[in-house]
Amino acid sequence: MPANRSGVALSDPAWMRWLLIGTALAFLALFLLLPLVAVFAEALRRGFGAYWAALVEEDAVAAIKLTLIVAAIAVPANLVFGVAASWCVAKFDFRGKNLLITLIDLPFSVSPVISGLIYVLLFGLNGLMGPFLKAQGIQIIFAVPGLVLATIFVTFPFVARELIPLMQEQGSEEEEAALVLGASGWQTFWRVTLPNIKWGLLYGVLLCNARAMGEFGAVSVVSGHVRGYTNTMPLHVEILYNEYNFVAAFAVASVLAMLALVTLVAKTVLEWRFGAELAATRHK
Amino acid sequence: MAIQVSGITKQFGSYKALDAVDLEVRSGELLALLGPSGSGKTTLLRIMAGLESPDAGSLQLNGEEALGLKPRDRQVGFVFQHYALFRHMTVFDNVAFGLKVRPRGQRFGSAEIKRRVTELLELVQLGHFADRYPAQLSGGQRQRVALARALAIEPKVLLLDEPFGALDAKVRKELRRWLRKLHDDIHITSVFVTHDQEEALELADRVVVMSQGRIEQIGSPADVYDHPSSAFVYEFLGQVNRFDCTVEDGVARIGNGALSIPTDPAVRGAAIAYVRPHDLGVSPAAGGPGRISGVHVVGPDARVEIELAGLSLEAEMDRERFGALGIALGDRCAVHIDRARVFAR
Repeated sequence: MPANRSGVALSDPAWMRWLLIGTALAFLALFLLLPLVAVFAEALRRGFGAYWAALVEEDAVAAIKLTLIVAAIAVPANLVFGVAASWCVAKFDFRGKNLLITLIDLPFSVSPVISGLIYVLLFGLNGLMGPFLKAQGIQIIFAVPGLVLATIFVTFPFVARELIPLMQEQGSEEEEAALVLGASGWQTFWRVTLPNIKWGLLYGVLLCNARAMGEFGAVSVVSGHVRGYTNTMPLHVEILYNEYNFVAAFAVASVLAMLALVTLVAKTVLEWRFGAELAATRHK
Repeated sequence: MAIQVSGITKQFGSYKALDAVDLEVRSGELLALLGPSGSGKTTLLRIMAGLESPDAGSLQLNGEEALGLKPRDRQVGFVFQHYALFRHMTVFDNVAFGLKVRPRGQRFGSAEIKRRVTELLELVQLGHFADRYPAQLSGGQRQRVALARALAIEPKVLLLDEPFGALDAKVRKELRRWLRKLHDDIHITSVFVTHDQEEALELADRVVVMSQGRIEQIGSPADVYDHPSSAFVYEFLGQVNRFDCTVEDGVARIGNGALSIPTDPAVRGAAIAYVRPHDLGVSPAAGGPGRISGVHVVGPDARVEIELAGLSLEAEMDRERFGALGIALGDRCAVHIDRARVFAR
C-alpha cells in the first residue's frame, strides 16, 4: 500500500504524461522519421528500376567503395588510438594530461572545413610539405590518403570520449588485482580491461563509423571531387543533387541511411543477445 | 615468509606519505597497520605488494631484496578494500584467474584448476556460488571471494587493505572472527591495514600504530593499549579523557587542583594527562565537587558524563555497578582516578 501511494504522489497527472510523450513523439516524427521516409520516397519516385540503375552506375559504385575503404582504415585507427589514449588518461597521472584531453576534443570544436583546409595547407602542392611530397611522388591531397587523414581527424574523439569517463569510473583496482595475481600486462589488458570496456568501446566504434561514412565538410575540402576517384558517398550525393539528378542523389543517400540503420540494428541485436550479461556486470 | 622493511620513504608531490619507515613482519604472524587516514599505512602495504614504488629504502621478502620485482613475481596475495573482483567473470573464474594466467609450463590442467578452485570456495563457504557474478553477491560474500582469489596463487604473504572497511558492523565482526580462525588454520604471514582500533586489537598478533608517515609504536594489542608510548597512540586507541595540567613535584594538577594525579617526577611543567573512561571512578557525595551532567546506558555498559571545575569528564562502567552506585542526572559526586598517563607538552 505505501509503495502504491508514494507512486501516485510522485507521478504527474495523466494529461501531463501524455502531453510530454506526445510532444517527444511528434518531435521525433518531424525531425527524424519524416526526412528518412522522404529520402526513400524520393529515391523510389521513378520506380525500383531507376533506383537500382542509379546505384549500380559506375561512379556511384566507386563512391560506395571509397567510403567503405576510408571507414575501414579510419575506424580501426581511431579504435587503437582511442583505447590507448583513454588508458593513458584514465589509469595514469602525468603532466599535461588536461592538455591531452583538450587536444582529443579539438576535432569537436573545430569546424570540419577548417580541419580539411589545414591538411591542404600542410600536404597540398603549395603547402608546407608539398615540395617534399611531390619529389617523393606521393600525393595526399585530392587523393585517398587525404580523405583518410581528414576522416581520422574528424572522427578521432568518438572512441576516446566514450571510454575515458567509463575507465575513470572503473578505476584501476581490477588491473592491479590482475597484476598481483600474476598476469602480464597483455593478459591484464585482454582478460580484464577489454572485457570491462567492450560495450563502451562498441558504442564508440559505432558512432565513429557512422561519422566516418557520413563526413562531408573536411572530406569535401581535401577530395577535389574527382568523380570515380575521390568522391565519397556524401560528396557524390551533393554532385548528383547539384546536377538536378534527384533520383540518383536520393538513391545514394538512401544507401547511406541504410548503413546507419544497419549500425543501429547491429547495436540493438548485440544488446539483446548479451543483455543478461550486461545487466549482471554493469553495476558493481 | 618474513618481510623486512628498512628506511622506506615515499613522497607524493609535496606530501610525505612515508618517512624512513623500518618494520619487520615475522613469519606466520598476523600484523595490523593501524592509523588514521593519511598516516601512510595503505601506501606501505602497496609498496610491499609492488603496486607502488618507494623513493628510497629497501624491502626484503625472506631475506631477498624485492623492490626490483614486479608484483607478479613477489608471490603476494592482495585483498582490496572494495574487493576489485573482475565484474565480468563468475565467482569461479575470479578465483581461477591467478591459476589460468600462469605461463604455459607452470599451468595446471583444467581438472586440477577446477579442483583447487572448488576447494577454495568451500574454504570460504561459497561452494554454491561458483556460477554467480560478483554483482549478485553481498559485500561479505564478495570479500570472501576476493580472499579465495588471493589465496589461489598460494602466496607466501597475504596483504589486506581495509578488508572490512566497506562492510556493515555485524558482517564485519563475523568476517573478522572468521579471518582470525582462517589465519590460525593456515598460518600465512599476513598484514592488514585498518583505521579501526577495535579491529586491530581484536584480530592482530601485533599492532603497528602509524601517524603522518611514521611508526609511533609496535607491540602486542595489550601492550599498545595498556602502555601507549606517545600521546598520539593514547588518543588514537580507544576513548580517552584529555586534560591540560601542570606537573609539580611528581603531581599533575588538573583544573586548578580540582583533581590531582601522582606521576613520573621526570615530567615538569605544562603537560597533558590522559585517563581512560573505565579508569575514572565516580561515587555519590552530597557536597562533592562534580555534578552528573549526562547518563547513557547502552547494552551492558553505562557512560556517565561529569562536570567538574569547568571540565567535562567521561566515565564508563558496567551497568550493574552503575545501578549499585544509585546516582542520577544532576546529583553531586566525587571523582577519583584509578590510572592515568601524563605526557610532557
